[in-house]
Amino acid sequence: MIVKVNKEEVRIFKGANAKHAILKYILKNKMDVSALDNIKVFDSKGHEIGDDSPLKEGQSITFKI
Amino acid sequence: MKRILSILIIAIMGWANIAFAQNGVRASYKTDINIVSVNDVHAAIENMPKMAAIVDSLRAMDKALMVISAGDNRTGNPVNDMYSDGSYPMIALMNQIGFTCSTFGNHEFDSGQEGLARNINESNFPYLCANIFPDQELGIQCEPYKFFYVKGVKICILGVVEAEFGGIPSTHPNNAKGMKFSQAEEAIRRYLWLRNECDVFILLSHIGYDEDVEVAKKFPEFDLIIGGHSHTQIDGGEIHNGVLITQNVNKLKRLTHTVLVVENGKVTGKSATNIDVANYPKTSVAAKALVDFFSDNPEFKRVLAQAETPFSSYEELGIMMCDALKDFSGADIAYCNAGGVRFEDHPAGDFTVNDVLRLDPFGNTAVVVNVTGAQLHDMLIACKSVDDHGFPFTSGMSCEVTYTDKNRSGIKELKLFGPDGKPLNLKKTYKVIANSYAMITSDLPGDNQGEDLNITTADVLMKYLQKMQKVSYQGRKCLKENF
Repeated sequence: MIVKVNKEEVRIFKGANAKHAILKYILKNKMDVSALDNIKVFDSKGHEIGDDSPLKEGQSITFKI
Repeated sequence: MKRILSILIIAIMGWANIAFAQNGVRASYKTDINIVSVNDVHAAIENMPKMAAIVDSLRAMDKALMVISAGDNRTGNPVNDMYSDGSYPMIALMNQIGFTCSTFGNHEFDSGQEGLARNINESNFPYLCANIFPDQELGIQCEPYKFFYVKGVKICILGVVEAEFGGIPSTHPNNAKGMKFSQAEEAIRRYLWLRNECDVFILLSHIGYDEDVEVAKKFPEFDLIIGGHSHTQIDGGEIHNGVLITQNVNKLKRLTHTVLVVENGKVTGKSATNIDVANYPKTSVAAKALVDFFSDNPEFKRVLAQAETPFSSYEELGIMMCDALKDFSGADIAYCNAGGVRFEDHPAGDFTVNDVLRLDPFGNTAVVVNVTGAQLHDMLIACKSVDDHGFPFTSGMSCEVTYTDKNRSGIKELKLFGPDGKPLNLKKTYKVIANSYAMITSDLPGDNQGEDLNITTADVLMKYLQKMQKVSYQGRKCLKENF
Protein backbone atom coordinates (compact mmCIF):
# COMPACT_ATOMS: atom_id res chain seq x y z
CA MET A 1 0.00 0.00 0.00
CA ILE A 2 1.03 3.61 -0.39
CA VAL A 3 0.98 6.08 2.49
CA LYS A 4 2.46 9.53 2.86
CA VAL A 5 5.08 10.32 5.48
CA ASN A 6 5.97 14.00 5.82
CA LYS A 7 4.26 14.53 2.44
CA GLU A 8 6.47 11.90 0.74
CA GLU A 9 5.00 8.72 -0.74
CA VAL A 10 6.14 5.53 0.93
CA ARG A 11 5.35 2.03 -0.34
CA ILE A 12 4.89 -0.41 2.50
CA PHE A 13 3.30 -3.82 3.13
CA LYS A 14 -0.41 -4.08 3.88
CA GLY A 15 -1.09 -3.96 7.60
CA ALA A 16 1.91 -1.76 8.38
CA ASN A 17 1.78 0.68 11.28
CA ALA A 18 3.06 4.25 11.58
CA LYS A 19 6.48 3.19 12.84
CA HIS A 20 6.97 0.80 9.90
CA ALA A 21 6.21 3.59 7.40
CA ILE A 22 8.47 6.04 9.22
CA LEU A 23 11.31 3.50 9.25
CA LYS A 24 10.94 3.15 5.50
CA TYR A 25 10.93 6.95 5.14
CA ILE A 26 14.04 7.23 7.34
CA LEU A 27 15.90 4.62 5.29
CA LYS A 28 14.79 6.22 2.03
CA ASN A 29 16.12 9.56 3.17
CA LYS A 30 19.29 8.07 4.65
CA MET A 31 18.49 9.39 8.12
CA ASP A 32 19.73 7.83 11.37
CA VAL A 33 17.49 4.86 12.27
CA SER A 34 17.93 5.60 15.99
CA ALA A 35 15.71 8.65 15.38
CA LEU A 36 12.82 6.19 15.58
CA ASP A 37 13.23 6.02 19.36
CA ASN A 38 12.22 9.65 19.85
CA ILE A 39 9.47 10.53 17.44
CA LYS A 40 6.10 12.16 17.76
CA VAL A 41 3.63 11.14 15.10
CA PHE A 42 0.62 13.11 13.87
CA ASP A 43 -2.29 12.39 11.53
CA SER A 44 -3.26 14.63 8.63
CA LYS A 45 -5.40 16.77 10.91
CA GLY A 46 -2.60 17.38 13.38
CA HIS A 47 -3.74 14.94 16.08
CA GLU A 48 -0.97 13.11 17.85
CA ILE A 49 -1.21 9.37 17.15
CA GLY A 50 0.63 6.42 18.66
CA ASP A 51 3.70 5.26 16.75
CA ASP A 52 2.15 1.82 16.36
CA SER A 53 -1.12 3.18 14.98
CA PRO A 54 -2.45 1.04 12.15
CA LEU A 55 -2.27 2.66 8.73
CA LYS A 56 -4.52 2.34 5.75
CA GLU A 57 -4.00 2.91 2.04
CA GLY A 58 -3.55 6.58 1.20
CA GLN A 59 -3.19 7.77 4.80
CA SER A 60 -0.95 10.76 5.48
CA ILE A 61 1.12 11.08 8.62
CA THR A 62 3.88 13.39 9.74
CA PHE A 63 6.51 12.90 12.39
CA LYS A 64 8.83 15.08 14.39
CA ILE A 65 12.02 14.06 16.15
CA MET B 1 -40.52 13.29 61.01
CA LYS B 2 -40.60 16.05 58.36
CA ARG B 3 -37.05 15.03 57.32
CA ILE B 4 -37.98 11.36 57.06
CA LEU B 5 -40.99 12.32 54.96
CA SER B 6 -38.92 14.39 52.53
CA ILE B 7 -36.32 11.59 52.21
CA LEU B 8 -39.19 9.20 51.48
CA ILE B 9 -40.61 11.54 48.82
CA ILE B 10 -37.18 11.96 47.16
CA ALA B 11 -36.66 8.19 47.22
CA ILE B 12 -40.08 7.58 45.63
CA MET B 13 -39.35 10.24 42.98
CA GLY B 14 -36.01 8.63 42.25
CA TRP B 15 -37.57 5.18 42.03
CA ALA B 16 -40.30 6.55 39.77
CA ASN B 17 -37.74 8.12 37.46
CA ILE B 18 -35.77 4.89 37.20
CA ALA B 19 -38.93 2.87 36.69
CA PHE B 20 -40.13 5.26 33.97
CA ALA B 21 -36.75 5.23 32.32
CA GLN B 22 -36.67 1.44 32.32
CA ASN B 23 -40.01 1.47 30.56
CA GLY B 24 -38.69 3.72 27.83
CA VAL B 25 -40.15 6.96 29.24
CA ARG B 26 -37.62 9.73 29.33
CA ALA B 27 -36.03 10.76 32.62
CA SER B 28 -37.60 14.04 33.67
CA TYR B 29 -34.91 15.75 35.69
CA LYS B 30 -31.44 17.12 35.21
CA THR B 31 -28.42 15.03 36.04
CA ASP B 32 -24.81 14.51 35.01
CA ILE B 33 -23.59 11.23 33.56
CA ASN B 34 -19.87 10.77 34.21
CA ILE B 35 -17.92 8.48 31.93
CA VAL B 36 -14.29 7.44 32.04
CA SER B 37 -13.19 5.97 28.72
CA VAL B 38 -10.02 4.31 27.51
CA ASN B 39 -9.00 2.78 24.21
CA ASP B 40 -6.13 0.73 22.84
CA VAL B 41 -4.65 0.03 26.27
CA HIS B 42 -2.69 -2.80 24.64
CA ALA B 43 -2.05 -4.46 27.97
CA ALA B 44 -0.16 -1.51 29.48
CA ILE B 45 -0.86 -3.03 32.88
CA GLU B 46 1.81 -0.83 34.45
CA ASN B 47 -0.55 2.16 34.06
CA MET B 48 -3.63 0.36 35.35
CA PRO B 49 -2.94 1.15 39.06
CA LYS B 50 -2.89 4.85 38.19
CA MET B 51 -6.07 4.52 36.20
CA ALA B 52 -7.61 2.70 39.18
CA ALA B 53 -6.68 5.62 41.43
CA ILE B 54 -8.30 8.08 39.00
CA VAL B 55 -11.46 5.97 38.84
CA ASP B 56 -11.54 5.67 42.65
CA SER B 57 -11.31 9.41 42.98
CA LEU B 58 -14.06 10.11 40.39
CA ARG B 59 -16.23 7.41 41.88
CA ALA B 60 -15.97 9.11 45.26
CA MET B 61 -17.79 12.01 43.60
CA ASP B 62 -20.18 9.93 41.51
CA LYS B 63 -20.89 6.35 42.47
CA ALA B 64 -22.64 5.82 39.14
CA LEU B 65 -19.45 6.54 37.17
CA MET B 66 -19.31 4.49 33.96
CA VAL B 67 -15.94 3.05 32.93
CA ILE B 68 -15.75 2.05 29.29
CA SER B 69 -13.15 0.59 26.92
CA ALA B 70 -13.22 1.04 23.15
CA GLY B 71 -11.24 -2.15 22.61
CA ASP B 72 -7.73 -3.47 22.02
CA ASN B 73 -7.36 -4.17 25.70
CA ARG B 74 -4.73 -6.82 24.97
CA THR B 75 -1.63 -7.37 22.76
CA GLY B 76 1.55 -5.42 23.36
CA ASN B 77 2.89 -6.73 26.64
CA PRO B 78 4.19 -10.29 27.09
CA VAL B 79 3.32 -10.21 30.80
CA ASN B 80 -0.30 -10.17 29.71
CA ASP B 81 -0.25 -11.81 26.31
CA MET B 82 1.91 -14.79 27.30
CA TYR B 83 -0.02 -15.52 30.47
CA SER B 84 -1.07 -19.16 30.59
CA ASP B 85 -4.67 -17.98 30.32
CA GLY B 86 -3.84 -15.33 27.72
CA SER B 87 -4.94 -11.79 28.57
CA TYR B 88 -6.22 -12.72 32.04
CA PRO B 89 -4.05 -10.07 33.78
CA MET B 90 -5.79 -7.27 31.87
CA ILE B 91 -9.20 -8.76 32.51
CA ALA B 92 -8.50 -9.19 36.22
CA LEU B 93 -7.46 -5.54 36.42
CA MET B 94 -10.50 -4.38 34.44
CA ASN B 95 -12.71 -6.43 36.76
CA GLN B 96 -11.05 -4.90 39.79
CA ILE B 97 -11.49 -1.36 38.45
CA GLY B 98 -15.10 -2.16 37.67
CA PHE B 99 -15.44 -1.60 33.94
CA THR B 100 -19.00 -1.12 32.72
CA CYS B 101 -18.42 -2.55 29.24
CA SER B 102 -15.96 -2.90 26.38
CA THR B 103 -16.20 -3.42 22.68
CA PHE B 104 -13.90 -5.73 20.76
CA GLY B 105 -10.81 -4.25 19.19
CA ASN B 106 -9.20 -6.18 16.37
CA HIS B 107 -6.56 -7.40 18.83
CA GLU B 108 -9.11 -9.04 21.13
CA PHE B 109 -9.20 -11.72 18.43
CA ASP B 110 -5.46 -12.37 18.88
CA SER B 111 -6.51 -14.64 21.77
CA GLY B 112 -7.92 -17.09 19.21
CA GLN B 113 -11.51 -18.32 19.29
CA GLU B 114 -11.15 -20.42 22.43
CA GLY B 115 -9.10 -17.79 24.22
CA LEU B 116 -11.56 -15.05 23.36
CA ALA B 117 -14.52 -17.09 24.62
CA ARG B 118 -12.62 -17.77 27.84
CA ASN B 119 -11.61 -14.12 28.24
CA ILE B 120 -15.23 -13.04 27.84
CA ASN B 121 -16.35 -15.53 30.49
CA GLU B 122 -13.68 -14.19 32.86
CA SER B 123 -14.87 -10.60 32.41
CA ASN B 124 -17.35 -9.12 34.86
CA PHE B 125 -18.51 -6.72 32.16
CA PRO B 126 -20.19 -7.28 28.79
CA TYR B 127 -18.59 -6.97 25.35
CA LEU B 128 -20.73 -5.00 22.92
CA CYS B 129 -20.29 -5.46 19.18
CA ALA B 130 -23.02 -5.25 16.55
CA ASN B 131 -21.06 -6.36 13.50
CA ILE B 132 -19.72 -9.74 14.61
CA PHE B 133 -21.57 -13.00 13.99
CA PRO B 134 -19.69 -15.88 15.61
CA ASP B 135 -20.69 -19.51 15.07
CA GLN B 136 -22.67 -20.61 18.08
CA GLU B 137 -20.32 -23.49 18.95
CA LEU B 138 -17.45 -21.04 19.53
CA GLY B 139 -19.24 -19.85 22.68
CA ILE B 140 -18.30 -16.21 22.07
CA GLN B 141 -20.79 -14.27 24.16
CA CYS B 142 -21.38 -10.70 23.12
CA GLU B 143 -24.30 -8.40 22.58
CA PRO B 144 -24.72 -5.78 19.85
CA TYR B 145 -25.91 -3.19 22.36
CA LYS B 146 -26.95 -2.87 25.95
CA PHE B 147 -29.11 -0.52 27.96
CA PHE B 148 -27.67 0.87 31.18
CA TYR B 149 -29.82 2.65 33.74
CA VAL B 150 -27.78 5.33 35.42
CA LYS B 151 -29.31 7.81 37.87
CA GLY B 152 -32.67 7.36 36.18
CA VAL B 153 -31.25 7.91 32.72
CA LYS B 154 -31.60 5.19 30.11
CA ILE B 155 -28.32 4.90 28.23
CA CYS B 156 -27.84 2.72 25.17
CA ILE B 157 -24.35 1.72 24.11
CA LEU B 158 -23.88 0.18 20.66
CA GLY B 159 -20.52 -1.41 19.82
CA VAL B 160 -18.69 -1.85 16.49
CA VAL B 161 -15.28 -3.12 15.43
CA GLU B 162 -13.33 -2.51 12.23
CA ALA B 163 -13.45 -5.26 9.61
CA GLU B 164 -11.09 -3.79 7.05
CA PHE B 165 -8.60 -6.66 6.78
CA GLY B 166 -10.27 -8.55 3.94
CA GLY B 167 -13.62 -8.40 5.70
CA ILE B 168 -12.30 -9.35 9.14
CA PRO B 169 -10.64 -7.29 11.89
CA SER B 170 -6.85 -6.91 11.61
CA THR B 171 -5.72 -10.12 13.25
CA HIS B 172 -4.29 -13.34 11.89
CA PRO B 173 -7.05 -14.84 9.67
CA ASN B 174 -6.96 -18.11 11.65
CA ASN B 175 -8.17 -16.17 14.70
CA ALA B 176 -11.34 -15.08 12.90
CA LYS B 177 -12.35 -18.49 11.53
CA GLY B 178 -15.95 -19.32 12.39
CA MET B 179 -16.88 -15.65 12.69
CA LYS B 180 -18.54 -13.40 10.17
CA PHE B 181 -18.33 -9.64 10.22
CA SER B 182 -20.34 -6.93 8.54
CA GLN B 183 -19.15 -3.41 7.91
CA ALA B 184 -19.56 -1.12 10.91
CA GLU B 185 -21.72 1.39 9.04
CA GLU B 186 -24.18 -1.31 8.00
CA ALA B 187 -24.49 -2.41 11.63
CA ILE B 188 -25.00 1.16 12.79
CA ARG B 189 -27.83 1.67 10.27
CA ARG B 190 -29.45 -1.56 11.47
CA TYR B 191 -29.59 -0.33 15.04
CA LEU B 192 -30.51 3.33 14.58
CA TRP B 193 -33.98 2.57 15.99
CA LEU B 194 -32.32 2.40 19.41
CA ARG B 195 -32.19 6.22 19.37
CA ASN B 196 -35.91 6.29 20.19
CA GLU B 197 -35.52 3.83 23.03
CA CYS B 198 -33.08 5.73 25.20
CA ASP B 199 -32.14 9.10 26.64
CA VAL B 200 -28.46 8.85 25.73
CA PHE B 201 -27.18 7.03 22.64
CA ILE B 202 -23.46 6.16 22.62
CA LEU B 203 -21.42 4.47 19.90
CA LEU B 204 -18.52 2.46 21.30
CA SER B 205 -16.32 2.27 18.27
CA HIS B 206 -13.12 0.51 17.32
CA ILE B 207 -13.05 1.71 13.72
CA GLY B 208 -10.66 4.69 13.85
CA TYR B 209 -10.91 8.47 14.10
CA ASP B 210 -11.57 9.27 10.42
CA GLU B 211 -14.37 6.71 10.35
CA ASP B 212 -15.82 8.07 13.61
CA VAL B 213 -16.00 11.53 12.03
CA GLU B 214 -17.78 10.03 9.00
CA VAL B 215 -20.24 8.25 11.29
CA ALA B 216 -20.91 11.51 13.14
CA LYS B 217 -21.60 13.29 9.83
CA LYS B 218 -24.01 10.57 8.70
CA PHE B 219 -25.61 9.71 12.01
CA PRO B 220 -26.24 12.70 14.27
CA GLU B 221 -28.46 10.35 16.29
CA PHE B 222 -25.47 9.62 18.53
CA ASP B 223 -24.76 11.83 21.52
CA LEU B 224 -21.25 10.50 21.94
CA ILE B 225 -18.77 8.33 20.04
CA ILE B 226 -16.14 6.74 22.26
CA GLY B 227 -13.51 5.81 19.69
CA GLY B 228 -10.45 3.65 19.34
CA HIS B 229 -8.19 1.85 16.84
CA SER B 230 -6.31 4.78 15.26
CA HIS B 231 -4.63 5.75 18.57
CA THR B 232 -5.63 9.36 17.87
CA GLN B 233 -5.06 11.83 20.68
CA ILE B 234 -8.09 14.10 20.70
CA ASP B 235 -7.75 17.16 22.90
CA GLY B 236 -10.66 16.48 25.24
CA GLY B 237 -13.42 15.86 22.75
CA GLU B 238 -14.35 17.12 19.31
CA ILE B 239 -17.88 17.94 18.21
CA HIS B 240 -18.71 16.86 14.67
CA ASN B 241 -22.26 17.46 13.45
CA GLY B 242 -23.34 17.76 17.06
CA VAL B 243 -21.76 14.42 18.05
CA LEU B 244 -19.00 14.43 20.66
CA ILE B 245 -16.05 12.21 19.67
CA THR B 246 -13.32 11.09 22.07
CA GLN B 247 -10.19 8.98 21.74
CA ASN B 248 -6.67 8.82 23.19
CA VAL B 249 -3.27 7.54 22.14
CA ASN B 250 -2.50 3.96 23.00
CA LYS B 251 -0.95 2.31 26.07
CA LEU B 252 -3.15 4.16 28.56
CA LYS B 253 -1.02 7.27 28.56
CA ARG B 254 -4.25 9.25 28.89
CA LEU B 255 -7.93 8.64 29.45
CA THR B 256 -11.01 10.77 28.82
CA HIS B 257 -13.48 11.98 31.42
CA THR B 258 -16.74 12.86 29.68
CA VAL B 259 -19.67 14.59 31.33
CA LEU B 260 -23.08 14.40 29.68
CA VAL B 261 -25.74 16.70 31.11
CA VAL B 262 -29.13 15.05 30.71
CA GLU B 263 -32.30 17.06 31.16
CA ASN B 264 -35.82 15.85 30.51
CA GLY B 265 -34.56 12.84 28.63
CA LYS B 266 -32.19 14.74 26.38
CA VAL B 267 -28.50 15.50 26.43
CA THR B 268 -28.30 19.27 26.87
CA GLY B 269 -24.61 19.58 27.52
CA LYS B 270 -21.49 17.54 26.85
CA SER B 271 -17.83 18.05 27.56
CA ALA B 272 -14.71 15.92 27.72
CA THR B 273 -11.28 16.35 29.26
CA ASN B 274 -8.14 14.23 29.11
CA ILE B 275 -6.49 12.97 32.26
CA ASP B 276 -2.78 12.20 32.09
CA VAL B 277 -2.63 8.64 33.43
CA ALA B 278 1.08 8.02 32.93
CA ASN B 279 1.99 10.99 35.13
CA TYR B 280 -0.87 10.75 37.63
CA PRO B 281 0.64 11.08 41.11
CA LYS B 282 -1.51 8.47 42.85
CA THR B 283 -1.60 4.69 42.54
CA SER B 284 -4.18 2.17 43.70
CA VAL B 285 -2.46 -0.18 46.13
CA ALA B 286 -4.84 -3.03 45.31
CA ALA B 287 -4.31 -2.72 41.55
CA LYS B 288 -0.54 -2.40 42.04
CA ALA B 289 -0.57 -5.65 44.05
CA LEU B 290 -2.30 -7.39 41.15
CA VAL B 291 0.21 -6.00 38.64
CA ASP B 292 3.10 -7.17 40.84
CA PHE B 293 1.52 -10.59 41.11
CA PHE B 294 1.09 -10.94 37.35
CA SER B 295 4.56 -9.56 36.61
CA ASP B 296 6.12 -12.38 38.62
CA ASN B 297 4.74 -14.73 36.07
CA PRO B 298 5.73 -18.41 36.19
CA GLU B 299 4.48 -18.62 32.61
CA PHE B 300 7.79 -17.13 31.47
CA LYS B 301 9.54 -20.20 32.82
CA ARG B 302 7.29 -22.55 30.86
CA VAL B 303 9.31 -25.00 28.79
CA LEU B 304 8.36 -24.90 25.12
CA ALA B 305 10.82 -27.47 23.80
CA GLN B 306 13.98 -29.33 24.63
CA ALA B 307 17.17 -28.27 22.90
CA GLU B 308 18.81 -31.63 22.31
CA THR B 309 22.13 -29.93 21.54
CA PRO B 310 23.45 -26.53 22.63
CA PHE B 311 23.20 -23.47 20.40
CA SER B 312 26.58 -21.87 19.93
CA SER B 313 26.08 -19.14 17.28
CA TYR B 314 23.71 -16.42 16.17
CA GLU B 315 23.41 -18.36 12.93
CA GLU B 316 22.03 -21.52 14.57
CA LEU B 317 19.45 -19.53 16.50
CA GLY B 318 18.65 -17.41 13.42
CA ILE B 319 18.03 -20.52 11.32
CA MET B 320 15.63 -21.82 13.98
CA MET B 321 13.74 -18.50 13.92
CA CYS B 322 13.54 -18.68 10.13
CA ASP B 323 12.45 -22.35 10.21
CA ALA B 324 9.62 -21.28 12.52
CA LEU B 325 8.50 -18.55 10.11
CA LYS B 326 8.66 -20.90 7.14
CA ASP B 327 6.79 -23.66 8.97
CA PHE B 328 4.07 -21.26 10.16
CA SER B 329 3.35 -19.71 6.78
CA GLY B 330 4.09 -22.48 4.33
CA ALA B 331 6.47 -20.09 2.56
CA ASP B 332 9.28 -21.35 0.34
CA ILE B 333 11.92 -19.18 1.99
CA ALA B 334 12.27 -17.29 5.27
CA TYR B 335 14.87 -14.80 6.41
CA CYS B 336 15.57 -12.54 9.35
CA ASN B 337 18.02 -9.69 9.83
CA ALA B 338 21.13 -10.66 11.80
CA GLY B 339 20.45 -7.92 14.37
CA GLY B 340 17.07 -9.48 15.08
CA VAL B 341 18.75 -12.45 16.82
CA ARG B 342 19.59 -11.16 20.28
CA PHE B 343 21.80 -13.83 21.83
CA GLU B 344 24.26 -16.30 20.42
CA ASP B 345 24.40 -19.29 22.72
CA HIS B 346 22.01 -21.41 24.70
CA PRO B 347 22.72 -24.64 26.55
CA ALA B 348 21.11 -27.93 25.74
CA GLY B 349 17.95 -28.50 27.74
CA ASP B 350 14.91 -26.33 28.38
CA PHE B 351 13.96 -23.65 25.85
CA THR B 352 11.43 -21.46 27.67
CA VAL B 353 8.98 -18.64 26.89
CA ASN B 354 11.45 -16.24 28.47
CA ASP B 355 14.21 -17.49 26.17
CA VAL B 356 12.04 -16.70 23.13
CA LEU B 357 11.21 -13.23 24.43
CA ARG B 358 14.92 -12.53 25.03
CA LEU B 359 15.84 -13.89 21.62
CA ASP B 360 13.18 -11.88 19.77
CA PRO B 361 12.15 -8.95 22.00
CA PHE B 362 11.15 -6.34 19.42
CA GLY B 363 7.52 -7.19 18.78
CA ASN B 364 8.22 -7.58 15.05
CA THR B 365 5.44 -9.15 13.06
CA ALA B 366 5.60 -11.70 10.24
CA VAL B 367 5.27 -10.34 6.69
CA VAL B 368 4.89 -12.41 3.51
CA VAL B 369 5.57 -11.38 -0.06
CA ASN B 370 5.86 -13.10 -3.44
CA VAL B 371 9.09 -12.15 -5.20
CA THR B 372 11.43 -13.56 -7.83
CA GLY B 373 14.80 -15.04 -6.91
CA ALA B 374 16.44 -11.97 -8.44
CA GLN B 375 14.35 -9.62 -6.29
CA LEU B 376 15.16 -11.69 -3.20
CA HIS B 377 18.87 -11.39 -4.07
CA ASP B 378 18.59 -7.58 -4.01
CA MET B 379 16.41 -7.58 -0.89
CA LEU B 380 19.00 -9.55 1.10
CA ILE B 381 21.76 -7.14 0.04
CA ALA B 382 19.61 -4.15 0.99
CA CYS B 383 18.75 -5.75 4.35
CA LYS B 384 22.45 -6.31 5.11
CA SER B 385 23.37 -2.77 4.06
CA VAL B 386 21.59 -1.30 7.11
CA ASP B 387 22.52 -4.01 9.59
CA ASP B 388 25.99 -3.88 11.17
CA HIS B 389 25.39 -7.27 12.80
CA GLY B 390 25.88 -9.18 9.57
CA PHE B 391 24.15 -10.88 6.69
CA PRO B 392 20.55 -12.12 7.16
CA PHE B 393 19.91 -15.71 8.24
CA THR B 394 17.70 -17.91 6.07
CA SER B 395 15.63 -21.06 5.88
CA GLY B 396 14.69 -22.83 2.65
CA MET B 397 17.84 -21.53 0.97
CA SER B 398 21.46 -20.70 1.71
CA CYS B 399 23.77 -17.87 0.69
CA GLU B 400 27.39 -17.39 -0.25
CA VAL B 401 28.43 -13.80 0.20
CA THR B 402 31.74 -12.24 -0.78
CA TYR B 403 32.51 -8.97 0.99
CA THR B 404 34.65 -6.12 -0.24
CA ASP B 405 36.57 -6.13 3.04
CA LYS B 406 36.93 -7.87 6.39
CA ASN B 407 34.58 -5.39 8.08
CA ARG B 408 31.74 -6.64 5.86
CA SER B 409 31.10 -3.03 4.82
CA GLY B 410 30.32 -3.85 1.19
CA ILE B 411 29.17 -6.88 -0.82
CA LYS B 412 31.12 -7.85 -3.93
CA GLU B 413 29.04 -10.88 -4.83
CA LEU B 414 26.06 -12.80 -3.49
CA LYS B 415 25.08 -16.30 -4.64
CA LEU B 416 21.81 -17.92 -3.57
CA PHE B 417 21.26 -21.67 -3.36
CA GLY B 418 18.10 -23.72 -3.00
CA PRO B 419 17.61 -26.44 -0.38
CA ASP B 420 19.10 -28.95 -2.84
CA GLY B 421 22.36 -26.98 -2.95
CA LYS B 422 21.82 -25.91 -6.57
CA PRO B 423 21.73 -22.20 -7.55
CA LEU B 424 18.37 -20.64 -6.83
CA ASN B 425 16.28 -19.95 -9.94
CA LEU B 426 16.40 -16.17 -10.10
CA LYS B 427 13.45 -16.02 -12.50
CA LYS B 428 11.13 -18.16 -10.41
CA THR B 429 8.63 -16.53 -7.99
CA TYR B 430 8.91 -17.58 -4.36
CA LYS B 431 6.69 -17.01 -1.36
CA VAL B 432 9.03 -15.34 1.11
CA ILE B 433 8.45 -14.53 4.77
CA ALA B 434 10.51 -12.26 7.00
CA ASN B 435 10.06 -10.22 10.15
CA SER B 436 8.63 -6.74 9.57
CA TYR B 437 11.93 -4.95 10.28
CA ALA B 438 13.85 -7.11 7.82
CA MET B 439 11.14 -6.69 5.20
CA ILE B 440 11.22 -2.88 5.49
CA THR B 441 15.00 -2.66 5.39
CA SER B 442 15.02 -4.94 2.34
CA ASP B 443 13.69 -1.99 0.36
CA LEU B 444 11.55 -3.97 -2.05
CA PRO B 445 10.74 -1.68 -4.99
CA GLY B 446 7.34 -1.32 -6.64
CA ASP B 447 3.79 -1.75 -5.40
CA ASN B 448 4.15 -5.38 -4.31
CA GLN B 449 5.20 -4.89 -0.71
CA GLY B 450 3.59 -7.96 0.84
CA GLU B 451 1.20 -8.34 3.71
CA ASP B 452 1.48 -8.40 7.48
CA LEU B 453 0.21 -11.67 8.96
CA ASN B 454 -0.73 -9.91 12.22
CA ILE B 455 1.28 -12.21 14.43
CA THR B 456 4.55 -11.46 16.16
CA THR B 457 7.60 -13.47 15.16
CA ALA B 458 8.06 -14.36 18.85
CA ASP B 459 4.59 -15.94 18.84
CA VAL B 460 5.49 -17.84 15.69
CA LEU B 461 8.65 -19.21 17.31
CA MET B 462 6.76 -20.26 20.43
CA LYS B 463 4.22 -22.13 18.32
CA TYR B 464 7.04 -23.81 16.40
CA LEU B 465 8.89 -24.93 19.53
CA GLN B 466 5.71 -26.27 21.09
CA LYS B 467 4.99 -28.20 17.92
CA MET B 468 8.53 -29.59 17.57
CA GLN B 469 8.99 -30.51 21.27
CA LYS B 470 12.67 -31.28 20.51
CA VAL B 471 15.10 -29.18 18.44
CA SER B 472 18.71 -29.52 17.43
CA TYR B 473 20.57 -26.92 15.38
CA GLN B 474 24.15 -27.68 16.31
CA GLY B 475 26.39 -27.12 13.28
CA ARG B 476 23.57 -25.87 11.05
CA LYS B 477 24.71 -23.30 8.49
CA CYS B 478 22.86 -21.12 6.03
CA LEU B 479 25.65 -18.74 5.17
CA LYS B 480 29.15 -18.95 3.70
CA GLU B 481 31.17 -15.76 3.96
CA ASN B 482 34.23 -14.90 1.86
CA PHE B 483 36.47 -11.89 2.40
